[in-house]
Amino acid sequence: MSERAKRLIGLGLALVATIVVVVNQRDVGIARDEVVYMQSGARYADWWTGLVTLDHGISEKSVTQTFGGPNATDNNREHPPLMKTLFGLSEKLLHRKLGVTGEVTAYRLPSAIMHGVLVLLAYLMVLELWGMAQAIIAALLLMLLPRAVFHAGLACFDAPTMTLWFATIYAYWAYCAHGAHGRGPDDRRWPWQVGVLWGLALATKHTALLLPFALGLHYLIVAWRARPRGTEAAAGASRVGRMLATARAVIGYRWRVIVSLAVLGPLTLYAVWPWLWFEPVHHVRDWLAFHMSHVHYNYEYLGHNWNAPRFPWHVALVTTLFTVPVATLAAAVAGAGVWIAQRGRRDPRGPVLLLALSAAASAGPFFLGTTPIFGAEKHWMPVLPTICIAAAAGVVWVARAAAGYLATVRAVGERLAERVAIAVIAGSVVLAAASETQVAEPYALTWYNALAGGAPGGADLGMNRQFWGVAARGVLARLAALARPTGNTYVYTHDASPAWGIYQRQGVIPRTLLDAGWEQGGIDRSELAIVIHELHFNRHDYLIWKAYGTVQPIYVLRSDGVPIVSVYRRPAQAGPSAGQSGQ
Amino acid sequence: MPALLLVVISLWEVCAARRDAASVPGDAAWHAAAEQVRAGYRPGDLIVFAPDWIDPVGRSQLGDLIPLEIAARMDAAQYGRIWEVAIRGARSTDTTGISAADTEDHDGVVVRRYERAPAIVMSDVLERLATATTTGARPTLELAEVGFAPHRCLQVSPVPGTPLRITFPQLPLGKELVGYAGIADVFTRRDVRSPGRLDVELAGKVIASATAGVDDGWVRFAAATPPGAADVTFVVHATEANRRICFAAEARQ
Repeated sequence: MSERAKRLIGLGLALVATIVVVVNQRDVGIARDEVVYMQSGARYADWWTGLVTLDHGISEKSVTQTFGGPNATDNNREHPPLMKTLFGLSEKLLHRKLGVTGEVTAYRLPSAIMHGVLVLLAYLMVLELWGMAQAIIAALLLMLLPRAVFHAGLACFDAPTMTLWFATIYAYWAYCAHGAHGRGPDDRRWPWQVGVLWGLALATKHTALLLPFALGLHYLIVAWRARPRGTEAAAGASRVGRMLATARAVIGYRWRVIVSLAVLGPLTLYAVWPWLWFEPVHHVRDWLAFHMSHVHYNYEYLGHNWNAPRFPWHVALVTTLFTVPVATLAAAVAGAGVWIAQRGRRDPRGPVLLLALSAAASAGPFFLGTTPIFGAEKHWMPVLPTICIAAAAGVVWVARAAAGYLATVRAVGERLAERVAIAVIAGSVVLAAASETQVAEPYALTWYNALAGGAPGGADLGMNRQFWGVAARGVLARLAALARPTGNTYVYTHDASPAWGIYQRQGVIPRTLLDAGWEQGGIDRSELAIVIHELHFNRHDYLIWKAYGTVQPIYVLRSDGVPIVSVYRRPAQAGPSAGQSGQ
Repeated sequence: MPALLLVVISLWEVCAARRDAASVPGDAAWHAAAEQVRAGYRPGDLIVFAPDWIDPVGRSQLGDLIPLEIAARMDAAQYGRIWEVAIRGARSTDTTGISAADTEDHDGVVVRRYERAPAIVMSDVLERLATATTTGARPTLELAEVGFAPHRCLQVSPVPGTPLRITFPQLPLGKELVGYAGIADVFTRRDVRSPGRLDVELAGKVIASATAGVDDGWVRFAAATPPGAADVTFVVHATEANRRICFAAEARQ
């Protein structure tokens, strides 16, 4: 197969992954935080557009008004701007200017494209390392991860972070691999991509700060292995001299990549984040301090509501075990086993080590018991490419073993047997992943894999039901039908409150269906109310019971039988505040 | 062998994912179960659902038969007839240790009826709040979230280090005083981590105590009492501000 054809296959897979995400997100409600990112992104995009068109210059005042402010969350300054800016530019171009997509889809498109890019990069890396079959399988398994598909369809940072994390890994590996391709350590090309991509990852989410742990350790190990033999002896008998010679050999192995990360990474972050253009040290310190002392949101895990450390050490392990398709996990175990068994025949470039360290750096902090666990798998999503690549390796190894066995008992061509075995086994694993993905959407945060027993099994186990209020999307048509024929109807919108205006602009709910406001005041004003079910949101049910005088919801939205949103209607005779809605 | 295993796991997952998604009974089963409960329901019956996570669906079917006071009960002891509507083989903690008088399965929604001798309540502190005297802020009667469950209770936030004494004069007592204490509001439980404590005094002696930590939920306490009327004092302790301690208690025959 020609190189061009191989690249086209990768691009095709990336396109399919993007389309899958774009199509799926149409039924996914608007996440609470997403609204903030959309609004901030629109402002950032306007600022950049104004700068390019010379409508304004660069002033501390305009930068502060757009990207920062005195308080910790002003203009969402606690999160770097890259993806938000892309969300805003996409909406400005595709929705406002060209009108080719809806508002929400336009905001979400950059994230979906990023997911396609991830699939492409994984495909390319595996293609170069292990071959076409593994590359295609890895790409397919990566695009059929229910939670990842969900997160990639949001105008948020978690899926794009996974892409840029992996892109950095890929760029670093590609540079370090040059030695094995005939270029030695004297290769004078600058690996600018590594630093720039890491900078872009940093400009997406602070979790990219963990990446150097993976890259640094990999660098040290590979450089140690590759150090010229006799370096120590040449340095003489002195122990210090030998140590210095070894250190020089290790650090100098691919020293340009260190410079790239150390210089271009921060510079890229600085370049794309105008908030750092003034008082950069102060603003970087504020950014990191926000996350180092982040409030612990409530999160249900194995039947307990967690909102303060110490958290169980196994959250990342168990959650991953329950949120990646079982067949993919099983194949990944096989792949990891193969990699371990073949460690004697290791590739000097250490690709498996790099993938393992990438996963470890991403999930490692969640084993400490002090790192906030809310958001769960979305915070350690960079482990997913490693799992899917291992799964691809496992599938092909298993298939080859089966083909080998088949060839010994039947007179079939070895090549044909291998192709059939790969097709059957890969087809089975991919089919399982596709089934889980199809079942999971659009309420993928409620979904758990077959090992957990699906969404109902997850509920039995006391796993987190959902977050960010996205499920409210599923009751909007019912609320619209309950609206008064004339005049306004006030709704206690609970966690969907930030998205209410967008839902109105989308036409999903009429403009006469108004957000009644927060907490008790909003409930007292409302005649309809929703509760988006999470364990710590039970209190909203009780507030509504008191105000409405009933415990009976008129409708309960369920995902695979598991309650996710309750709708209440104030009984006609209930409470003096009922009359406040209406006109 | 590994190939076969991987194919079997995959095919199992294809089937299991769909089977799991359809494993929770649908509306028709719930309607049938609700009809049975309605047909046999008597005012004062307790209706509970299991597992806890199906509670919203149960309330949507039978919520009109569940008054607020019963939904936010202290416990289930005073209910002689309990209807348990359950799926997936679950049981409610309110029916632990009781055998069902009647069980019927409606396509996966199981209705169990329990009958037993209810606890006879001589007095309930929630109903006697107006007669109570305190050494500080008066408690308020709330329907509060305690341990992620609804409870009607008397809520106080004592001054840290200064126990708040709430006395119910001449409270009619039976053989036993049973109560519960807990910390209301998930967000203050997150932000204020110290426990709250409640002592119950009768004739100047502590007869029961309960310490409720932020993860302890609704903590039971009980003490034997001499039948007759007596002053009963609840002493509420907190070591930090905004510690919302909720309690309820009944004197039982």
